[in-house]
Amino acid sequence: MNPLRKYPKKFFWRVYFVALVISLILDLYWLHLHILHYHFPFQGIWEFFAIFGLFGCMGLILIAKGMGFFIAVDEKYYARRYKKYYESRE
Amino acid sequence: MIEWIHPGLVIFLGGFLIPFIKWRKVKLAYFLSLPIIGLIILILTSKGVFGSIPPWPHALYKWRVPFLQYTLILGRIDKLSMVFAYIYVIAAFCMNIYALNVKNHWEHVAAMIYVGSSLGAVFAGDFFTLFFCLEIMSWAPVFLLWFRGTKKAMGCGVRYILWHHFSGVCILAGILMHLHKTGSIAFVHMPWAWDWDHLGYNLMLLGFLINSATTPFHSWLSDTYSEATPSGSIYMTAYTTKTAIHCLIRTFSGVQLIMWMGAIQAVFALFLAVLENDGRRLCSYHIISQIGYMVAGVGIGTPMGINGAASHALCHIIYNALLYMGAGCALYVVGTAKFNELGGLYKYMPISFWLYMVGGFSISGFPLFNGFISKCMTIEASELIQRPYIYLLLEGATVGTFLHTGLKLPWNIWLQGRDEPPPKIRAKLKDSALNTPINMLIGMGILAFLCIFMGIYPKILYDMLPYPVEFVPFTTTRVFSITQMFIFTFMGFWLLRVLVKGYPTYTIDTDWLLRMPGMRFMRFCREPLINFGSLLDKGILKVTYSVISWVRSPILAMRMTPRAIGLGVLIVLILFSFFLMIYV
Repeated sequence: MNPLRKYPKKFFWRVYFVALVISLILDLYWLHLHILHYHFPFQGIWEFFAIFGLFGCMGLILIAKGMGFFIAVDEKYYARRYKKYYESRE
Repeated sequence: MIEWIHPGLVIFLGGFLIPFIKWRKVKLAYFLSLPIIGLIILILTSKGVFGSIPPWPHALYKWRVPFLQYTLILGRIDKLSMVFAYIYVIAAFCMNIYALNVKNHWEHVAAMIYVGSSLGAVFAGDFFTLFFCLEIMSWAPVFLLWFRGTKKAMGCGVRYILWHHFSGVCILAGILMHLHKTGSIAFVHMPWAWDWDHLGYNLMLLGFLINSATTPFHSWLSDTYSEATPSGSIYMTAYTTKTAIHCLIRTFSGVQLIMWMGAIQAVFALFLAVLENDGRRLCSYHIISQIGYMVAGVGIGTPMGINGAASHALCHIIYNALLYMGAGCALYVVGTAKFNELGGLYKYMPISFWLYMVGGFSISGFPLFNGFISKCMTIEASELIQRPYIYLLLEGATVGTFLHTGLKLPWNIWLQGRDEPPPKIRAKLKDSALNTPINMLIGMGILAFLCIFMGIYPKILYDMLPYPVEFVPFTTTRVFSITQMFIFTFMGFWLLRVLVKGYPTYTIDTDWLLRMPGMRFMRFCREPLINFGSLLDKGILKVTYSVISWVRSPILAMRMTPRAIGLGVLIVLILFSFFLMIYV
């Protein structure tokens, strides 16, 4: 038996989509039955955690990428600065 | 009868013997046995062999040492010190297994000094002992950095010690001002207010916040941890920051300022993590983010908040070591942990992938993993005190944590949608699914087991916490909401996965504000200041030589005219008059 295996792509996607649909339905159903108990009113909005997860994740990536225009520099940034400041005389 | 055996001292002194053992196998067995001895001492202490431990916040005091007019307490044994001590020795054991194939035995010595002094700090009952242990703790990791041997690591070591000496000076100033005010060196809860009367306490708080890498003083952590040796960085993830959290719990619990700092830090570090290209630097930002939860829990200050902070520190040591080990495996096997150079390693390192994923799920707070228990405790504490913004920040940090450690890092190192790694990396791999050394997998396996075990059976964790736990983690609401949130976080990641790919960039952090002026200052010292100095030197030498030659030269002496002598006498008289005017 070959010990080298590829990662289980198909199995993962099947499980993922089933879980996604079930979570959407369960949220509406359980909220309707008042099974879910929250501390803040906004947590009880329909599909709040789905929206929070999706937009939180996308917002995080997009804002960080925007920050990247200012704070992402090349890997040798400090080394170049160091050379400029320290080794220019040597 | 023996009063008590200090586990920190056993590991600390025991570490020095490692290089003197000749036989390699005996040396490794001895290296592994040190944390086991520490664990045995702790178990005996828990069982009451050295006297029963009273309920929190009371403590059992051992090893009182007279020092000047004070009494040092080297062993304050209570529930809080025991929870930290237990996890320190268990983590040290797993880390030692991981570090078994390290050839440089001085690295083992530095690691054991680090672990021993950390235990000394958590058992300290007075500020002098605490400060002494913190100072040793600040030096040991410097060697773990320097043993990497690269120029960058050398620089990181210097920056690390500069940060920690600064924090040490702040803590010492705070201790001395407190001592001057109260005459006490007891390591207990401190008053805090934002005014000049509390300057000492503010300095002490600043020192602890720097040590715990709280934003905006967090940059030393991401800068240095990723540059240590593969096994050295594992030790560094656990001890310094958690000891600082322990100090914060003891001294400044309930301070609202740090509650906000912690919650903001939990999210802020994640923005920087998005841009990160190095696996270990990404994990460093996650240490900072997770520390945010602990600092927030300490700031909330309720029993639930303190329990949350202590349990999160405990769980965090386990899963973060596991994450670092996962990224360290890639570094060890293929020589890099940079995302833009990796991908497709799954086929060749599947076990380390799955073990890493246990850590990834734990840090994200997936149900049935230990992070779920500790993280929910802190989040619930924010809900109970009705702080919706703190809650949203902490919950938002959960989303970001899963995005990075659960998705971005494993995707970029092991998967990236391809079955084979890039040819340059492939050349370094054997045709086997077992490229990772066995000892590394065993170390990771034990930690992964602990992550799952504590997640399924949280009672073992609850029994260790300082306050009685009235918390039910597995409610329908909590399990469902967090699972749904992660399912949709994955969707967000998948839609924008091109943006979280590794790009060969470096992210500027808050240390830029210190490093750039520092470099400019050094350039000022090296160029204008030295030029001015040498100019001054030349001038003084010129004057001196002319005076010497004037005094020595008989020809010049012959040329002395009565006018020159008269001028000299006049100058002496004027100086003498000034002297009289001043002093008479």
